[in-house]
Amino acid sequence: MAYFLRRFVFFLGTLWAAVTLNFLIPRLQPGDPAEAIVSRLAGQSESVDPAQVQAIRVMLGTPDGNLFDQYVQYLGAVLHGDFGISYTYFPYSVTHMIGQALPWTVILVGVTQIISFVVGTLLGTWAAYRRNSRVDSVITLGSTFLGTLPFFWLALLLVYVFAITLHWFPERGGYGGGSSPGWSWLFISDAFQHSVLPAVALLITGPIGWIIGMRNNMVQSLGEDHTRLAVARGLPRRRIALTYGARIAILPNVTGFAIALGGILGGTVLVETVFNYPGMGRLLLESVSSRDYPLMQAIFLFTTIGVLVANFLADLLYGFLDPRVRKVESA
Amino acid sequence: MALLEVDHLSVTYTPRDQPANRAVHDVSFRIADGEFVGLLGESGCGKSTLGNAVLRLLSPPAHITGGRVSFDGVDLTEADEERLRELRWVDLSTVFQSSMNSLNPVIRVEAQFADTFAAHKVPGDVTARATELLELVALDRRVLRAYPHELSGGMKQRVALALALALRPKLVLLDEPTTGLDVVVQRSILTRLAELRRELGFAVLFVSHDLGTVLEMADRVMVMYGGEIVEDRPAGEVLREPRHPYTRGLLGSYADPRLPEVRVSYIPGRPPDLSRTHTGCLFTARCPHAEDACRTTHPDLLPDRGGLVRCLVAQEDRLPVVTLGTAEAHTALGSHFPATAGLDRPADPADAAPVLTVERVTKRYTSRRGLRTSSVEAVRDASFTLRRGTVTALVGQSGSGKSTLARLITGVERPSTGEVRFTGGDGPDLRVDRLRGRALRDYRRHVQMIFQDPFSALNPTRTIAYALSRPLANFAGLGGAAARERAAQLLESVGLAPAGQFLDKLPHQLSGGQRQRVVTARALAPEPRVLIADEPISMLDVSIRAEILELLGDLVREHRLAMLYITHDLLSARLLADEVLVLNQGTVVESGPTREVIGAARDDYTRLLLDSIPNPFAKATGRAASPSA
Repeated sequence: MAYFLRRFVFFLGTLWAAVTLNFLIPRLQPGDPAEAIVSRLAGQSESVDPAQVQAIRVMLGTPDGNLFDQYVQYLGAVLHGDFGISYTYFPYSVTHMIGQALPWTVILVGVTQIISFVVGTLLGTWAAYRRNSRVDSVITLGSTFLGTLPFFWLALLLVYVFAITLHWFPERGGYGGGSSPGWSWLFISDAFQHSVLPAVALLITGPIGWIIGMRNNMVQSLGEDHTRLAVARGLPRRRIALTYGARIAILPNVTGFAIALGGILGGTVLVETVFNYPGMGRLLLESVSSRDYPLMQAIFLFTTIGVLVANFLADLLYGFLDPRVRKVESA
Repeated sequence: MALLEVDHLSVTYTPRDQPANRAVHDVSFRIADGEFVGLLGESGCGKSTLGNAVLRLLSPPAHITGGRVSFDGVDLTEADEERLRELRWVDLSTVFQSSMNSLNPVIRVEAQFADTFAAHKVPGDVTARATELLELVALDRRVLRAYPHELSGGMKQRVALALALALRPKLVLLDEPTTGLDVVVQRSILTRLAELRRELGFAVLFVSHDLGTVLEMADRVMVMYGGEIVEDRPAGEVLREPRHPYTRGLLGSYADPRLPEVRVSYIPGRPPDLSRTHTGCLFTARCPHAEDACRTTHPDLLPDRGGLVRCLVAQEDRLPVVTLGTAEAHTALGSHFPATAGLDRPADPADAAPVLTVERVTKRYTSRRGLRTSSVEAVRDASFTLRRGTVTALVGQSGSGKSTLARLITGVERPSTGEVRFTGGDGPDLRVDRLRGRALRDYRRHVQMIFQDPFSALNPTRTIAYALSRPLANFAGLGGAAARERAAQLLESVGLAPAGQFLDKLPHQLSGGQRQRVVTARALAPEPRVLIADEPISMLDVSIRAEILELLGDLVREHRLAMLYITHDLLSARLLADEVLVLNQGTVVESGPTREVIGAARDDYTRLLLDSIPNPFAKATGRAASPSA
């Protein structure tokens, strides 16, 4: 129990630190965002009218008061999910924009990540179980080969073959012009059609890391003395592979998986750009290229929180899966 | 028909990028029902490979290349996986070396018992059966709920033994079951094992490098060298008169530390490279009795004095007669080999100049769990002095505070109370417990360490010359050709000559003994005043331990060093040290000149340590090692 409590306190601490850094870093940068906007609007050579700057400040809701007051205000706003107004998508709020993009990413990347992990772990286990057999060679060499292919090239190839040449799937976007977002059958099937190519792209490369990791961990755990003793004890092969091999080999992968899940909130920039998919990755790219600070900040914060929460859950799960960790903490 | 029959068994390792290695060659032996057989040999002799081959547990690149193993009439070498699986543990079980993790770390002890019962469809209540088995090895039932990492090394090994007996097998193969455990723990496990064997009547194949243990426990001893069995005779006969020169050499490395005069010997040279083909006897190169015929004719394992011996000289009865059982005879045996260690000693160590003084030192570790704090005194009120040109042995079980004292002396940690004073430098006296920063760094050149494990004490990716050049650069400011020249001198001073052969080698190209010499040379590089040797021989083969002890002894006298020799092994302390401190749970319980402390121990704990040493001569001299506590 002490272990879980300790992990929770640690989680709260890091969360606070992340939120505070997110507050401090933009304020440590030189320059004034309002002036930056005005000069961009006006073109670089022209002088900036103070009235315009003031107007934009009012519009953006630039904080006033000393740094501490601002910090308190900021914490309050974050707690209420208020991240201000987006510069690029004015007058929409940052929260609104993220709310629009998040479901796309969470569904596409979340589902493919989970499938990748499950498939990767199973293939890795199989390869390790049949080590040095043909199955192992095919799985290991195949995934290593696919892993060396540039991801964007693979994605473009998919678009070229299945969208442009064969017309099986739409080439870009999250849904077609004919349907509008909502819980209608038409929209859902349309969105599914659009998600097939990006999902396939993610599923081709997604399991590779898990396969290699799982196989190598398990080959190692199958070489341990407790496995040899299990063989000597006459345990069935399947039991040895699962309880003595996979059960131990999966431990490091669990942490990796949780962190990967947390990273979903940041989206996958490459895939969403290639397929012009309306998720968080594309939003992040647009906010960076148009210097939309409130949006950027909020996406960064979301990603950080996602990773932290996932890490926390991984710690809890790890404590549950590996009794040795609990011991270290309480010793 | 014997219980286990091994006929002309050969095992070869065929690694992908190295030459094939003939680890076990044409080995035949029998084990009868209820017999206790010892398989003795040093690292690399093939004894563990043979054990694994008998269990059919070899994994690539090792393969059985000839011969057969049959158990109770069933040919194990031909049996398929499923047949083997059914046989395993029911008839033939095993306990691995204690330092290894033979229990699954993520499941509870009870689950490991349950696994075993389930695999062989044993009906009934797992908990009740497992509790019963744990009682056999004197463990509480609470252990069932524990995970392996929550148990001590000795407890884990008891669990492994209980597990091995779970299905009442006919034969238990014990592969170094107590290596790496404390002498006292080892003694209690071995005593229990002997009792259980009498009660349950199983046969044992006991694989070990530890001649003392094997000779004490076994009915019959097989000695292995270079992948072959060189002697196979009843234990009593081997003790009375070992017939193979190698066995004689091994026996020469043992002695009872309590005797008024203790001499041990070592076998010079290294075991043969089994990836090359050899003509003649494999032991010739290291054998003091070798004749011309030995170099050309490979001897057969032939009947000799109640057993089998593979030696031409012994078979033709031209071996000098040695009858063991008396101290004098043992001394004579030792002198069959060229050198002995632990002879000359300065007249009175108390006269030598003090170099480092530990005064009333206590080290307390506090740990906090939530709001509660608990403290452990690792060292309690310890006082002693290290003197120039003398060796002070620090003897005790693991956890007795030996290593903590070493850390206090090197300044890695500070005592909670008390003083550590260094008086051996050229400058003013130093209070080691108060040094920090630059001064501490400067002090460290005077105090150097020799570590236990020569395999991990050297960076595997760097040459010997580099390893030696680091302290030379750090402490003496030497670089380039000057450092190389000095490194060569250092190597020659530890007996690695000509140095040119060793400077550009990588650690893995050297044997364990050679590596420990390099570690010693590295410790000597900054010209220290104090050497701390932490179990420097415990990882080395028995036959070369005395060689390293001799080196350390010579270096101390030659360089007028003060040495703190940390060990749990009273024989080596007796051989090397001038003074002995016995440490029990952080307290020095007995100290004084070596001969007095070990020869006439006053403290109960010292006597317990002495009684726990496996003593091959106990059988012969009639002094049984009494298992106290």
